[in-house]
Amino acid sequence: MRFAKSWIVATKDLSVFKKNRYILYSLIGLPLLMGILIPGILIFSLQAESAGLTQAQLTETANMLINLFTAYFVIIAAVLPTIIASYSFVGEKLEKSLEPLLATPTTDSELLFGKSLAAFIPCVGATYIGTAIFVVIVDVWSFTELGVLLMPNPYWAIIIGAVTPLACVLSVEANVIISSRVNDIRAAQQIGGLVILPLLLVMILASTSQIFPLVTLALIVSGALAVADLALFYLAKATFKREEILTKWK
Amino acid sequence: MIETENLTRKFGGLTAVENLTLRVEEGEVFGFLGPNAAGKTTTVRMLCCLISKTSGEARIGDYHVDREADCLAIRKMVGFLPENVGLYENLSAYRNLDFYGKLYEVPDEKRRENIERLLKLLGIWDRRNDNVGDFSKGTKQKIAIARALIHEPKVLFLDEPTANLDPEASKTVRDFVLELKKEKHTIFLNTHNLDEAEKLCDRIGILKTRLIAVGAPTELERSLYNRKTIVHLQAVTAQVTEAVKQFNAVKSVREVDNKLVLDMDHPERDNPELVRTIVAAGGDIQYVTELKSTLEDVYLKLIREAKTQ
Repeated sequence: MRFAKSWIVATKDLSVFKKNRYILYSLIGLPLLMGILIPGILIFSLQAESAGLTQAQLTETANMLINLFTAYFVIIAAVLPTIIASYSFVGEKLEKSLEPLLATPTTDSELLFGKSLAAFIPCVGATYIGTAIFVVIVDVWSFTELGVLLMPNPYWAIIIGAVTPLACVLSVEANVIISSRVNDIRAAQQIGGLVILPLLLVMILASTSQIFPLVTLALIVSGALAVADLALFYLAKATFKREEILTKWK
Repeated sequence: MIETENLTRKFGGLTAVENLTLRVEEGEVFGFLGPNAAGKTTTVRMLCCLISKTSGEARIGDYHVDREADCLAIRKMVGFLPENVGLYENLSAYRNLDFYGKLYEVPDEKRRENIERLLKLLGIWDRRNDNVGDFSKGTKQKIAIARALIHEPKVLFLDEPTANLDPEASKTVRDFVLELKKEKHTIFLNTHNLDEAEKLCDRIGILKTRLIAVGAPTELERSLYNRKTIVHLQAVTAQVTEAVKQFNAVKSVREVDNKLVLDMDHPERDNPELVRTIVAAGGDIQYVTELKSTLEDVYLKLIREAKTQ
């Protein structure tokens, strides 16, 4: 597989996304909203609860809430590809641009990787920007109120460094498979949205669970996601074949 | 340049293309005529390595369409215009061509030159930065043809290049194909349009799952019906009719009003003598015309026959 070919496909897709307001607003809006809203809720809750708490208790509560809310950024990383990847694959189907693309001297894997990359880069990038805003706001508050920087912490580092991109990959791959079965962008987005439900459940259980230490739990979730990504990758690769696309994609 | 032997493609129980054997020479414009679902697009897709064959052989140059390693080489040497233009509507004409030029591995400088040359040739260089979505159907079709030519392919596959275009846009596209023909491109043209096929193609194949006929347009026109010479007379007399019947080159004679309709194999060679014979028999000739069977006559007859089989 030639990475340069995939990169050509990815940059073209990124140019198309840049001109699509719906995608652009989603990419900017959702992480920005979460980056401001989540720490806002967190700080508001802590301010409301702070009466009668010692500084140590307040720090502990803040850490617990931070860990709980960190999981939401994984959800964003999984939701955004349902918007972008559905445009990437179903959009090509609707514009009927897949056939000339498939006629070029590129392999199925190069095309699939390029299109996946185009969905992955902006989604993870936007999530990281949202996360950065979250970290800055939380740290400014914690340094002012508690005299310590609560973030980053090891759990957050694993969630943002490993779980978030892995969840994004899972969502992109799921969307490739969904795109092969639907002809409508909204249908692809709605079905793609279902992918995040089990993920959401896992994240809530993980962040509230007392069974394992949080860091261990984050590592277990990362491992499970990596295995799921690998399995879905082979399924997506089997789905994204020239002949299948031209004769069976509906 | 293009060669197939018993090429067959089945989709489940449905045979789309059956035992197709044909050869297209380098620099030839070959037209593929056939009704909807005749297997034209399936054939082109197999030749462009987009779908696999069920059986038989197919080669483009020295490359076999069923060999994985050869498929990349085939895709690199062919240009393909699908039935739907499939351009990126939110990107400019230039960006669309640039993207495909990169995928076809055209070096930067050459790619810029080719885009400029093609867009100037098609008269859209000044609008190169406009989004494709802003162009008319005809102009989009022209951009799609430019896309198929961006890497200077040896073989060009055009699938219904003028379908859904208005007469003016169709003419522009046809004129462009004629220019390509002058430049000795090998062109494989799928079309429903008989007039287009007749004007553009050196040879035509008529397909209805199987290849029912192949030949130059004039050969096909002559293959089913003899050419007819019509002699318009002041009056048809028994003497004239008898003289014509005795004329060796005439295979049959039919009298219609004051006209004689004659079946002949070589009218160019035999008509001067025929005219002298009629005049010698006392006939007053007003004028002599030819009644040709058209490609449409041939096409419809062959397709109807194929349907009844």
